[in-house]
Amino acid sequence: MEPSIFFDEVNERQGVFHRRTFLMGGVVGAATLTLVGRLVQLQLVEAQRYQSLAVANQYRFRLIPPPRGRILDRNGIEIASNRPDFRLLIRGDEVEDAQTTLDAVSQLIPLPDARKRQILRQLEVTPHAVPVAVANDLTWTEFSRVNSRAPELPGVTADMGESRVYPFSGAFAHVIGYVAKVSQGDLDRAKKDNPSGQIDPLLLHPGFRIGKFGVEQALDADLRGKPGGQKVEVDSVGRVVREDPAGDHRATPGRDVVLTLDADIQNRALEVFGAESGAAVVMDVRTGDVLCLLSAPSFDPNRFVSGVAEAEYRALHDFDHQPLLNKALAGLYPPGSTFKTMTALAALESGLVQATDRVMCSGQFFFGGRYFHCWKAGGHGAVDMNSAIKSSCDVYFYQTALKIGPDRIAKVADAFGLGHTFDIGIAGQRKGTVPSTEWKKKAFAHNPANQVWFPGESLSYGIGQGALQVNALQLAVMTSRLANGKKALLPRLIKSVGGVERPRGDAFGDLPIQPDHINVVRAGMQAVANDVGGTAYKVIQLNLGDIKMAAKTGSAQMHGYGNTGNGAKARDTTNMAWKMRDHGLFVAFAPYDDPRYAISVILEHGLHGTNAAPKAVEIMKVALLKDPDMRSRIERPLPDEPRPTASPSDGAPDETLAPPTDAPVGAPPTTGQPRT
Amino acid sequence: MTSSALTRPGQRDRLIMKVPEIDWRLAFMITCIAGVGAMMLFSAAGQSWTPWAAAHTIRFALCFLLMLVLSLIDIRVWFVLSYPVYGVALLLLVAVPLIGHQSLGAKRWLQLGPISIQPSEIMKIGLVLALARFYHGLGAKDAQLSWKLLIPVALIGAPTLLVAKQPDLGTAILIALTGATIMILAGLTWRLLAAGFVAGAIAAPAFIMFVMKDYQRDRILTFLHPEQDPSGAGYHILQAKIALGSGGLLGKGIGLGTQSQLNYLPEKQTDFIFATFAEEFGFVGCFFLLAFYAATIMVALRIASISHSHFGRLAAAGVTATFALYVLINAAMVVGLAPVVGIPMPLMSYGGTVMVTVMVGFGLVEAVRVHRYSEITSGRGSLLF
Repeated sequence: MEPSIFFDEVNERQGVFHRRTFLMGGVVGAATLTLVGRLVQLQLVEAQRYQSLAVANQYRFRLIPPPRGRILDRNGIEIASNRPDFRLLIRGDEVEDAQTTLDAVSQLIPLPDARKRQILRQLEVTPHAVPVAVANDLTWTEFSRVNSRAPELPGVTADMGESRVYPFSGAFAHVIGYVAKVSQGDLDRAKKDNPSGQIDPLLLHPGFRIGKFGVEQALDADLRGKPGGQKVEVDSVGRVVREDPAGDHRATPGRDVVLTLDADIQNRALEVFGAESGAAVVMDVRTGDVLCLLSAPSFDPNRFVSGVAEAEYRALHDFDHQPLLNKALAGLYPPGSTFKTMTALAALESGLVQATDRVMCSGQFFFGGRYFHCWKAGGHGAVDMNSAIKSSCDVYFYQTALKIGPDRIAKVADAFGLGHTFDIGIAGQRKGTVPSTEWKKKAFAHNPANQVWFPGESLSYGIGQGALQVNALQLAVMTSRLANGKKALLPRLIKSVGGVERPRGDAFGDLPIQPDHINVVRAGMQAVANDVGGTAYKVIQLNLGDIKMAAKTGSAQMHGYGNTGNGAKARDTTNMAWKMRDHGLFVAFAPYDDPRYAISVILEHGLHGTNAAPKAVEIMKVALLKDPDMRSRIERPLPDEPRPTASPSDGAPDETLAPPTDAPVGAPPTTGQPRT
Repeated sequence: MTSSALTRPGQRDRLIMKVPEIDWRLAFMITCIAGVGAMMLFSAAGQSWTPWAAAHTIRFALCFLLMLVLSLIDIRVWFVLSYPVYGVALLLLVAVPLIGHQSLGAKRWLQLGPISIQPSEIMKIGLVLALARFYHGLGAKDAQLSWKLLIPVALIGAPTLLVAKQPDLGTAILIALTGATIMILAGLTWRLLAAGFVAGAIAAPAFIMFVMKDYQRDRILTFLHPEQDPSGAGYHILQAKIALGSGGLLGKGIGLGTQSQLNYLPEKQTDFIFATFAEEFGFVGCFFLLAFYAATIMVALRIASISHSHFGRLAAAGVTATFALYVLINAAMVVGLAPVVGIPMPLMSYGGTVMVTVMVGFGLVEAVRVHRYSEITSGRGSLLF
């Protein structure tokens, strides 16, 4: 290097420069090493973490709603299923300008401005990953028109979902209920139930419907299933770049629920009720299976799936026949004369009364300073237990009830399921009232003067009136237990869930009642239906070969009678307004000799049990005709015996009707002294 | 190195004689880095030459020619033009707030006829030249500590304030740090440096609180606590970290970086191209890239140190300092060691202005190398041809 020194300092400043340049190189090197160190941390040490973050960025799962489980009747007939539903969804995270997109959509399908505004509002409040429904139930033409234009409509997807359908419309409405859009209340509940406070995104999906009532509500968790996911690759603004079918996971369909109901019986029951109001329950007396659980009139649950209009709901709600109420479970009625079976049993169980004991009925009974009337003005004469049941003699049961007192009656009523609610899998049962001295103390806790049981109350109790209240299911259970004669049957409505069988109704122990005593009552019920003097003889001839029914009619008064002491002739409510008329009740089982099916029918404001009876017969006929054993019996030619004629006497069971099997026969002919 | 005609002062040499004197090693390294940049721009566009990679390549090719041309210009011409270039740049900077046009909330551009220029970029070269020119005529003692140092402070301070006012904090910092580096290389006493450091440490919080714009303050706060705002200002930092980290040891492969391909990575083709690279080439790629940048800086510093003229030394070192600051600040920003300031990665990031500045700078470095034996005989500012 040539020296080029012009003054002293030149060398010095060159030296400083060289040293400091060297230093600068060092600083650059150190800074580079620092950067490398940082890269080691990010790219080697924490790489795993950032890789999963990148994947979380890259992929998202679009929710695939699971198909809801079906609800089937005992024979596998679908009573709630799913149908394809073409719909249009819009996704807040994929749409560029919602207004413009909706305008474009409205070129393809009808979309009123009000609906557009509604969608825009919904888009604002819905989390971005959750789509919002633009339109449901598109026709195939509309669906394919939108589908073919889909590339021009980012964020809009034409989606084939499923929607709930109830093929039998109203027949099962009260039992299976319905599904409807998720309400704010449902969301709040879901939030509260979930410990993390997160809402299941399935609930937010526009196609999802939640069970609101009946089986749909009670077994919602089973029916719902688990949502699947469609794996999609999304860019930073959420637009789907690519679908990744290999990464999809399928939705788990909801479990199928099989009910014990029989669609044919249920449909027939709805049919026979016509425009009338009431409830009917049919049970298999061997297993406790509920074959029919009807409340009439009904409503169409399909209307609720896509959201029922306010006016329509109002109309249903305000109708005095109460179509929205499940009367079979929640309708409480005095059982009327159908309860005389219980009074009779309680009398026999007490030992204070023999079946053969006679009571003199003169049409009225004077007690406590006033007259208690029998429904038959002229009186029944001397009646024993069998004929008292057959002719539904009130005086007989006034006296019997008075003799044995309320607690014995209550005990038997309790043993037969009255005053109970049963675990049938759906909500809405009301247990009613079975009065007793103890009940009175509790019921009038704030009115000590009324806590005493007045003997006059026993009289009403004996004929199934007063404070006593039951529902149709309880009456059916009562009748089933009478018909079974042995088992304390429980009703079963849900046969199986997802293929797992629920316990049968006959698996729960025996009745604490002597079979002989039950036989007496059954014989009485047989006479009701088959003796000429029976209250239901005229109205319930089955005409199905040698199959006979055993039955009991009843009418439940809307207004006090008999024990009012001054209204001897006030019983006929035929000419009163519908709401003021008596209820007609009817319980029966068949065949008498080999009981299989029990039925209870309550005809609201039907005046008398004889009006309910023909409906019960029609329903029972379906049950019997569907049973292959019964069918072969019906189709077998009748033996050459003379047709049984009803015995002219008012008591003895017809011995020519003695059942061929080991089924019990009624009490022996009565010889006892009439009692007053 | 044998002596050549180039060493003789006052004598014009034939241009052809100068070509072999160009440092082709440096030119090659620059070209390699620009090539990597083009490759990343190709990848970031989804394996497409448009819109970035082709333009970047063409731009580099033109700038490379410009660099070669500039490297042949006599160091004494650079010397003579030092103050005028600085003066023009300063005038343009003053003009920016008056007649400049606004873009993205800042006035940085001047429209001169068909071309729009960014005076702050001219200033980056102009300041280096002016400071080198000034120190060329300053004795070692004065360069350490004297009242004369107020002149370089003013030379640095004026453009820094003007650029910061635009506002363009990134460029202002770059200009200030480049100037400071030259002062240090020229021999500034460590005591004054330490004092300046202390003063800066005291002034910085006040500056941050009272002088900075809200968005600038946000960037610094976000840098300190990025997790507080993952979808807002912290988004850049977080997504860049994800891109880097998910690259792992060997990267995801070219064109397969999901962060950049799916646009999670912001500014993937400009300020954050290093993250795009890191995602696809992993730690190994980053290591070699940074090593290459460091090597380029070292080569340029070596060129500065073998220059016979103090002007040449300081000019080459100043340009190198600018380049090094670009690289280090950008990389530190991308890896999350510095707040997000708008400083691109030179030679890789897409953008014409910085490319021109950097390549003009390398032209100056090459000119110093080519004319390394030239004497600028009179230190007192005389024109020498």
